Amino acid sequence: MYLPSGVYHETYRADHAWWQATFVRAKMAFLVLLLIVGLPLAGNYALSVANIIGYTILSAFGVQLLIGYSGQLTLGHAAFIAVGGYATAIGMLQYGLPYPVSMALGAILAGLWSVLFGLPSARVKGFYLIMTTMAAQFVTVDFIITQYVSRVSGREQSFSLPPGTITVGPWVIDTELKVYYLMIALVTLCTMGMANLLRTRVGRAWIAIRDNDIAAEMMGVNVVRYKLMAFFVAGVLGGLAGSFWISSLYVVSPDHFQFSWSVWLVGVILIGGVGSLHGVIFGSIFVTVLLEALKFAVIPLSDAYPALSTGFLYIKEGVFGLAIVVFLLYEPRGLAYRWQQLKNYFNLWPFAY
Amino acid sequence: MLKKTMIRLACALLMAALLPLPAGAQTVVKIGSLNDFTGPTSDVGKDAGLGIREAVQYVNDTGAINGKRIKLFQYDYGYRVPEAVTTYKRFRDFDKVVAVFGWGTGDTEALAPTVARDQMPYLSHSFSAYLADPKKTPYSFIYGTDYSTNARASMTAWYDEVWLKDPRFKAEREKGVKPRFLSFYMKACPYCSAAIKALNDHAAILGFEVGPDQDVPLTALDAKSQILAAKEFKPHLVWHGNIVMSVATVLNDANALGLGADHIVNNWGFDENLVKLTLNSAEGVIGPAVVAFYGEKVPLMDKVVEYTKKMNPGVPQQNRLIRTVQSWVDVLLMREALVRADKAGKLNGPGIKEAFETIRDCTPGLGRPPITITSTDHRPGSFVRVYRVQKGKFVLLEGVDLKKRWPDKWDKWLGW
Repeated sequence: MYLPSGVYHETYRADHAWWQATFVRAKMAFLVLLLIVGLPLAGNYALSVANIIGYTILSAFGVQLLIGYSGQLTLGHAAFIAVGGYATAIGMLQYGLPYPVSMALGAILAGLWSVLFGLPSARVKGFYLIMTTMAAQFVTVDFIITQYVSRVSGREQSFSLPPGTITVGPWVIDTELKVYYLMIALVTLCTMGMANLLRTRVGRAWIAIRDNDIAAEMMGVNVVRYKLMAFFVAGVLGGLAGSFWISSLYVVSPDHFQFSWSVWLVGVILIGGVGSLHGVIFGSIFVTVLLEALKFAVIPLSDAYPALSTGFLYIKEGVFGLAIVVFLLYEPRGLAYRWQQLKNYFNLWPFAY
Repeated sequence: MLKKTMIRLACALLMAALLPLPAGAQTVVKIGSLNDFTGPTSDVGKDAGLGIREAVQYVNDTGAINGKRIKLFQYDYGYRVPEAVTTYKRFRDFDKVVAVFGWGTGDTEALAPTVARDQMPYLSHSFSAYLADPKKTPYSFIYGTDYSTNARASMTAWYDEVWLKDPRFKAEREKGVKPRFLSFYMKACPYCSAAIKALNDHAAILGFEVGPDQDVPLTALDAKSQILAAKEFKPHLVWHGNIVMSVATVLNDANALGLGADHIVNNWGFDENLVKLTLNSAEGVIGPAVVAFYGEKVPLMDKVVEYTKKMNPGVPQQNRLIRTVQSWVDVLLMREALVRADKAGKLNGPGIKEAFETIRDCTPGLGRPPITITSTDHRPGSFVRVYRVQKGKFVLLEGVDLKKRWPDKWDKWLGW
């Protein structure tokens, strides 16, 4: 789209490149500069918001993969994030493993755990699959983790991670800025991984299953195998999200991975756009910034109306629900679609055809 | 024309935004407060949250911190650890507070290493004994006797005043029967289980036989199966580690199913609402109170009542609880430390911590026994008043001073 007319690719490699024109490359360089240098100048508060956005992106990737690319409805993704988070914390605190090793183990464990709860997808789909993934949520977080796993630390419910626990080699991750850089690295890695995976044979198989599983099977796609593969990759991404998030938390508790977070992630991709990686990123930025903006709107008023600050959690959840409703009504294809439209408009301007 | 005006207006706004804060910012002391108005502990948290606001207003009306007004940032976190962590970060990075009023045990314990790193004095409503050992948690403070001390004192008071004196137990005492004891609490909740180790240790000291503990959720509406399981052990005494609503459920079910045991309750489960919610089942229930009950005739209570009426006229007086009074003691203890730190010219984290640690035999009134905090022991005292419900009223049963009674053990009990 950005190619000036008359320039054609001469190799398949160039044809498949992500960034095909100088303008796009310049834009991406600007983005990198903004993320690495620009945002850290904005202070700790902006960074902590950015970290929440990054965590939401990492968490929502798996949901997008399952719902948006493989057509497997899920409402239990927080369970796999929890497995990743807890496995990493236990690996570090109880077995003294380095953070990157624990993180890898946590991600793989989360992937396997996700496959376990993906097994029913061989037989059921749609609403029934929602039920089985919800079961994953409650069995994992509310039963196994709350009652057993979270109590091995001896403090009954929470694993405290004092500042300085999380290290990558000699690099101690103990400030918002360092967490931020870790987040940027992970989000970049996962985005690149996802974007590439989706244009391989595997990715095409997932999309075929999403669009019509019977047709996909007719074409020779092993549906069960690819579905389970989707659950595995989604679980690994969720596990990575959990492992990353504990670096910012100082503590892990079952509260972090409640059912509401699973629902939240589905809302994020609805708002961002189902079936789009841009959608994950836009959706995460939108909901996180919306809620922060809400704080700025509500908290100054709370001097006059104390009820606003005391009932803020309700307002927050209400606004999130309202945002989903508004998007479903007026922007059902999400922010990613609007972004595409915007780009098209400028690309074609002034001749809109 | 209009465009020019708009540009000027935009410039003016930009200027205003870029100007540094007025010099008046120096005369404000910013404090954050985490409260639970909506979560599973809101049965006591709501009242405590209102109390914090009223007490801060009182401090500001009566000289503030050597003339510097307190600016309170109070947020509800719904008793959710993640929300507490993000709110704490907001306090630290955005609101830039000098100290924090904390609430729950889970979040306060989880944040303790971080507040130590950030040098942020953190005075919490959670009295978990874990927070009282400055070697582990140097910036955490508590204003009431810790849960372990409270539990030991309640058990001691029951042993002294009921087991050794009550004619109901005469026959068993003479036969040399050991009193049987077990606990009801939510096992996966850091607050509820904080005192268990101390309780079982104390049961051994007093020569009790300990039975199987029962798991009751904080949001329980029914505890019949737990009661039936406990009944097989035929306990003489049970301890309740939960909060009012849940404790009331257990007491009612225990009464209905004829558990036949006496009850001791942790301080957050023992207040005016417990009596209202249980009617007869609360008769004879024993529990500690770290301050005076609401409306008791003690110094400063008139101010508490005055401010509740003035600031929250919508909340009926008969619904106000001991939690309001606790919040007042919380705020007034913080004030004491802030005033001392300010006099020393060190109104910052380390300065406030040092100021807390100079407090000796100091009480703000309101029925709080004198508080002493040192740099080696953040437990505010060893004296606990234990009350018993008689005909719907709280009657003082015994004042237990653990340090006087077990002087050799008291120091070892620090931190658990």
